[in-house]
Amino acid sequence: MQPAIAQPSLIEDFTSAAVQAVATVQLIDRSPAALRDAILQAVGDAPRILFAPPQELSASLFAEFARDPRVRADPTPEEMVASAAGVTEAFAGVASTGSVCIDISFERTGMVSLLAPLQIAVVAAETIVPQPRDLFREDVLGGRGLQRDFVFVTGPSATADMGPLVRGVHGPHKLHIIVLR
Amino acid sequence: MASVANPADINPRQVANKSDKRAFLDAIRMTLAVQSPAVRHNTQTFNRNRYAATARLADYDALKDRAREIKQNAIANLPELLRQLEASVRANGGHFYLAKTAADADRYISEVLTRHEAKLVVKGKSITSEEIKLNHALEAAGITVAETDLAEFILQVADEQPSHIVAPALHYSRERITALFKRKFTTDLPLDTGEELTVFAREKLRQKFIAADAGISGANLIAADSGSLMLVESEGNIRMTMILPPVHIAIAGIEKVVPSRTDFGTFIELLPRSGTGQPLTSYVSILHPPLKAPPFAAPGKQPKTREFHLVLIDNGRSRMREDPVLQEALRCIRCSACLNSCANFETVGGHAFGGETYSGGIGGSWEAGTGKLLNARFSELCTGCSRCVNNCPVRIDIPWLNEALRQRMNFEQPASAAKSGFGAMTGSAAEDRVAPLQKQFFANYHVMAKGATRFASVSNALTSMPFVRGVMESVVGLDRRRKLPPFPKKTWEELYRTQQGRGTVRTDLPKVLMLADVFTNYGSPERGMAAVRVLREVGFDVELSAPLPDGRAAISQGMIATAREQAVPLAAMLMPHIDNGETVCVLEPSVLAMLRFDYAHLLDAATWSRLSKGKFVEPLQLVWSLTEGASLPDLSKAFPAGRSPHGKHVFYHSHCQQRTCNAATETIEVLRACGFDVVTSSVECCGMAGSFGYKRDYYELSMAVGEDLFAQVRAAEQDGPRTLVASGTSCHEQLWAGMGRKVLHPAELLVSTLA
Repeated sequence: MQPAIAQPSLIEDFTSAAVQAVATVQLIDRSPAALRDAILQAVGDAPRILFAPPQELSASLFAEFARDPRVRADPTPEEMVASAAGVTEAFAGVASTGSVCIDISFERTGMVSLLAPLQIAVVAAETIVPQPRDLFREDVLGGRGLQRDFVFVTGPSATADMGPLVRGVHGPHKLHIIVLR
Repeated sequence: MASVANPADINPRQVANKSDKRAFLDAIRMTLAVQSPAVRHNTQTFNRNRYAATARLADYDALKDRAREIKQNAIANLPELLRQLEASVRANGGHFYLAKTAADADRYISEVLTRHEAKLVVKGKSITSEEIKLNHALEAAGITVAETDLAEFILQVADEQPSHIVAPALHYSRERITALFKRKFTTDLPLDTGEELTVFAREKLRQKFIAADAGISGANLIAADSGSLMLVESEGNIRMTMILPPVHIAIAGIEKVVPSRTDFGTFIELLPRSGTGQPLTSYVSILHPPLKAPPFAAPGKQPKTREFHLVLIDNGRSRMREDPVLQEALRCIRCSACLNSCANFETVGGHAFGGETYSGGIGGSWEAGTGKLLNARFSELCTGCSRCVNNCPVRIDIPWLNEALRQRMNFEQPASAAKSGFGAMTGSAAEDRVAPLQKQFFANYHVMAKGATRFASVSNALTSMPFVRGVMESVVGLDRRRKLPPFPKKTWEELYRTQQGRGTVRTDLPKVLMLADVFTNYGSPERGMAAVRVLREVGFDVELSAPLPDGRAAISQGMIATAREQAVPLAAMLMPHIDNGETVCVLEPSVLAMLRFDYAHLLDAATWSRLSKGKFVEPLQLVWSLTEGASLPDLSKAFPAGRSPHGKHVFYHSHCQQRTCNAATETIEVLRACGFDVVTSSVECCGMAGSFGYKRDYYELSMAVGEDLFAQVRAAEQDGPRTLVASGTSCHEQLWAGMGRKVLHPAELLVSTLA
């Protein structure tokens, strides 16, 4: 069963592991205004923001953000491949690795989390689990990890195939994680 | 193929198939000349990161046990799991195809794509697709294949086979990629940094992802209960391949199937850590396709419904499953830990230590299992150093697989009167007498050494004559450049008889039987005597055994029957001592490893079970064990470093198999407790590895591996000279060859502190 309140140590471990994986992490209050401010600050002056409406978190939480004129919740194919930022929810986080788990079968969440150079993932603190293996347990997060099609995202895309380590390959070049208290 | 004069002119494809011995030797020359620096840098980075990442897993050993158990059960129940998987995939709305051969798989995939009128296919990294030569088949059907993993992209541009199962182009330095791209593409971009090269490739490939008619991926694991796939990557190209195009085809060997998606929980912790040494790679996708979200519809194109095909490939795997030896290889999860922890692989990479598809220590079994036995010839580069064994997340005994392959390759050799006569004379088991003369020569080292020590001055005079070395080189392939250590005038056994004197025996300590291993007995009896003296000095009651061969030399040549004929009497000799509760002390670490591990393969189950109850230790482990006892000896008073004529500053290199036996740290602890200032090596193996460094075919490689160790010695000596100390016979010989100086055994260093 999921705990009502996240253990503070899990949030701390999650944050330091995510930073280790070259993501940025921001812990905010769970309110539409705080979420809008956090996302808009992270995207800066991006002319267009892809947005995949949430499946788990309440849609109202994203309501203020979604009112920004740059947001595309129903993008054209042209917009899908040419936007600066993509915002999705993550249905779980992993403390030991700093990963966020994103559904890839729910509407456009998979594409929005993949195609833009800046990826923003919003995760609820109480869905942070200790280790990757916990996603494969019936008794964690209601067994969602055993039912869904999803991806563990740990930092931005990267390669060492061209010699030195390069961040930003086919997938996002930056990952910003917003943790909701 | 004929030997090419300049190794740099050899294309890796020309030397991919190692069933041709000339190709194999040319591949070694080519990789040493061209690829070695990049391979070494990249594999050693993976290797260091893996040690660090697995050390942070609190239950690493338990996870490995669990992973092994899951794979073991999966292989045992494979036919049933495949039936269950087929039902799961169909229930999900996907298509399932089990291909008996590579050609079947290629045909099926071509047909699916042709039915969809596919012109362009994006492909994620799949070594299995290399095995079935899928790209050729698709191109023949008029389909363009875009490799989207940047390493595979490089290989597609260069037309080369992969050199590593996780990082297929790790033999390319950034500079060589720049040169390749400038040669193959017309661009104004400078392409002089990793970033610029990545941007160039990304932009080329982004267009392909958007326009692709289908995507092909591999799969790291497949769960039978739900038809789920696990895919591990860092670039995001596999995600693109699965998410954007309407058709997704996943191909994998049947050995990738595990019973349940819950099993992924074990492997997700082990696989990335064991491979690149990351806690997780950037993306690990878990899905049971077809995905429910719609595919990408390119601007102006009609949206399509998704279609998913799982193509599982047998191509020899069912035969491997029936093979008591090769069955082990089916457990492999392709993490590459065995490649990255292998000193020879670190030096030449998979274009020499690999075949057309698979590489490294595990690669020989795969090339033999999915192709021809002789394609596994490159597995000769496994020296049996065993460094991979503890690093394998599914605990495959890789050296044993390679020894067994070597035996089969020996058996493919034609018999000859010379070989069988030589074998009969030197002690090869009857069935091993078809093995090449060189293998029989090294396998029966102790017989030669015994004769040579009996007439030491004559043998030493002979082996220092260039003519004799020339004959030895042409008859048994013993490289004439390799300096031979002189044979001693008296064996360890003889010295022991003349130099008795027990010292003060502590009755609270276990009685010690010191095994007179043949390498020390006939090669370096002074080291053996030093060990006896050290143990007696601290109060052990030590007795020396008869000098019986142990089978190490024979097993390393794939002469398993000969090794067995030696193991059985040695075990019988040791048994009463073991039953009597004595500790068996072994000076030569490669023999210690025989008794600890390898005899499991050589003795019958009952004998092995009885023998494995014995306590087999390295001499300095015994000394260090005293510090945990009731009456602590003060090692700094017993062996005060200040009194050693060799000085306090030492460089210590532990033996590869000593480290695998977890029998190395005690030596360092003892030396430090005595007051020595110890710098240690961090190389996996010195490169000598018994007979390996003596063989003409491998001399350059052996010295190139050794250079890594020599460089560490030179670095450690920047502040002043250090005495070289090593525990293994081979390491002594290699350090002696590379540094031109005497090397001491730790026991000799301790003895030097005694008045």
